[in-house]
Amino acid sequence: MSFWELIVSLLGQGLVITLLTTVLAAILALVLGFIGGLMRLSKNKFIRFIVAIYVEVFRGTSLLVQLFWIYFVLPMFGLRMSALTAAVLAIGLNYGAYTSEVVRSGIQSVDEGQTEASIALNFTRVQRMRRIIIPQAFIMMLPNLGNQLIELFKSTSLVALITLTDLTYQANVLNATTLQTTQIFTALLVIYFVIAWPMTKGMKMLERKMTEGRM
Amino acid sequence: MSEPIVRYNNVTKYFDDLQVLDGIDFEIQPGEKVALIGPSGSGKTTFARLLMTLEEITDGTIEVEGDYLWHEQDDNGDLKPASTDHLRKVRSNIGMVFQHFHLFPHMTVLENVMEAPVTVQGRDKKEAKKSAEDMLDKVGLLDKADTYPAQLSGGQKQRVAIARALVMDPKVLIFDEPTSALDPELVGEVLDVIKDIADQGDTSILLITHEMDFAKEVADRIAFFDGGKIIEDGPPSEILYNPQAPRLKEFLERFMNTQSSPE
Repeated sequence: MSFWELIVSLLGQGLVITLLTTVLAAILALVLGFIGGLMRLSKNKFIRFIVAIYVEVFRGTSLLVQLFWIYFVLPMFGLRMSALTAAVLAIGLNYGAYTSEVVRSGIQSVDEGQTEASIALNFTRVQRMRRIIIPQAFIMMLPNLGNQLIELFKSTSLVALITLTDLTYQANVLNATTLQTTQIFTALLVIYFVIAWPMTKGMKMLERKMTEGRM
Repeated sequence: MSEPIVRYNNVTKYFDDLQVLDGIDFEIQPGEKVALIGPSGSGKTTFARLLMTLEEITDGTIEVEGDYLWHEQDDNGDLKPASTDHLRKVRSNIGMVFQHFHLFPHMTVLENVMEAPVTVQGRDKKEAKKSAEDMLDKVGLLDKADTYPAQLSGGQKQRVAIARALVMDPKVLIFDEPTSALDPELVGEVLDVIKDIADQGDTSILLITHEMDFAKEVADRIAFFDGGKIIEDGPPSEILYNPQAPRLKEFLERFMNTQSSPE
C-alpha cells in the first residue's frame, strides 16, 4: 500500500466515525434541546428548575471534561459504555443544553398574537405548539441550529481523547507512524473544512426555502 | 325576549393594582349586533378579551348560553374556577377578529382557514376544505387561496382573518377595531364584509370601533365605555344623536371635531 493509499484509507475510516458521531449526537442534541426548551417554558416551577440545572451544569463545564467523566468515571459506578456511546452521549448532552436555549428563545420570539389567534380558534395548548408556534419558531431557530450543528461537528475531534477512532485520532496515528506532519494535518484541516462548508451552505438553503414568500 | 347569549354579571378586572373594569353587567341577545365605543383605556377591549378568554376575569361571572365561561359549579352548586376542558367547551361559541389580523404566516390562505376546523373540530379534510373555500368566496378571496399572507394587502389579510373566524361558526363574533390598522383606502372592503355578515347572519356581533358611521349602520345597540364602566347603552340613534351622559357628549364632540372628512 502506498503512502497516499494508507492516508486515504485510514482517514476515510476515521471520517466515517466522525460523521456517525456527528449525526447521532446532533439527533440527541436536537431531541434534548426541544424537550428542554419546552420544559423551560412550563408553568411548573419545578420542571423549569430541573432544566435550569441541566443547562447550567453542561454549559458551565467543558465538553472535554464531560467526555472524560462519562467515559472514565461512570464505569467506576458500574456504568460502562463504548467510546462511541460515551462520545454521542457527552456531545449530545452538551449541545442539547445550548440547543434548549435556542429552542426557548425561538418559541418566545413568536408573536404573542399567534397565541391569541390560536386561543380564539380554540386550539389546545399542545395543538397550538405543534401546529402554530413551533413551525414558526423553528424557522427562526434555523440560523442558530445551523451554527450549532457545525460547532458540534468540529467538536467531535475531541472524542479522539477517549480513544474513539475518529478522523483526528487516525490523523494522530498516521502522524506518529509516518512523521509526515505537514501533509497529514493539512489534509485533516481540508477534510473538516470540506464537510463543514457545504453544511453551512445547506442550512442557508434550507432557511431560504422555508421562508420563501412567507415571512 | 329570549335568553341572552352572553351575560356579564358584576364583572371586574384588575391588571395588578389598576382597575380596568368596574362591576359591569351586560347582556347580548342572540343575533344582536352591539358596538362598543369609548376613549382608549376605557375598558372596551378588555371587556371583549375577557369573553374570548384572552384575559382572566378578576371578579364576577360571564355566562355564554347559560354556561359559566370562567367558572364551573361543583356538586354543592358553588362556583369554582373552570377546568381547561370546560373553558374550551364554552369558548367554542366565541370567535374573534383582531386589529392586527394574526394570520398564520407559515400557512397559505386556504390552510389558515382550514386549520382550526381540521385540528380543533376534527372535521374531515375534504369537507373542511370545501367550507374554507366557501368562506373565502364569501369574503371575495377564493382566488388567493394558495398565496401566503405576506403577499396580501392589509384589507385582504383582514378578510382572510374574518373567513378563518367564521368557518368555526361562532355564535358570537368579536371584532376588535378591525380596521384600525388599515390604510384608509382599504377600510371599505373590510367594512363591506362585516356588513354582509351582520346582515345575513344570526351570529351575534360585538364590534369595538372608532368608525361611528359604521357603528350606526351595523349595530342594533351601542354601548359607551368610560373609566371601566358602561356609561350609556342604547340604540345608535339615541347614543349618537341624543346622548344623555355628559362624558358621552364630550366624547362625541371631540370625535366629530377630529373627523377629517365629514359625510
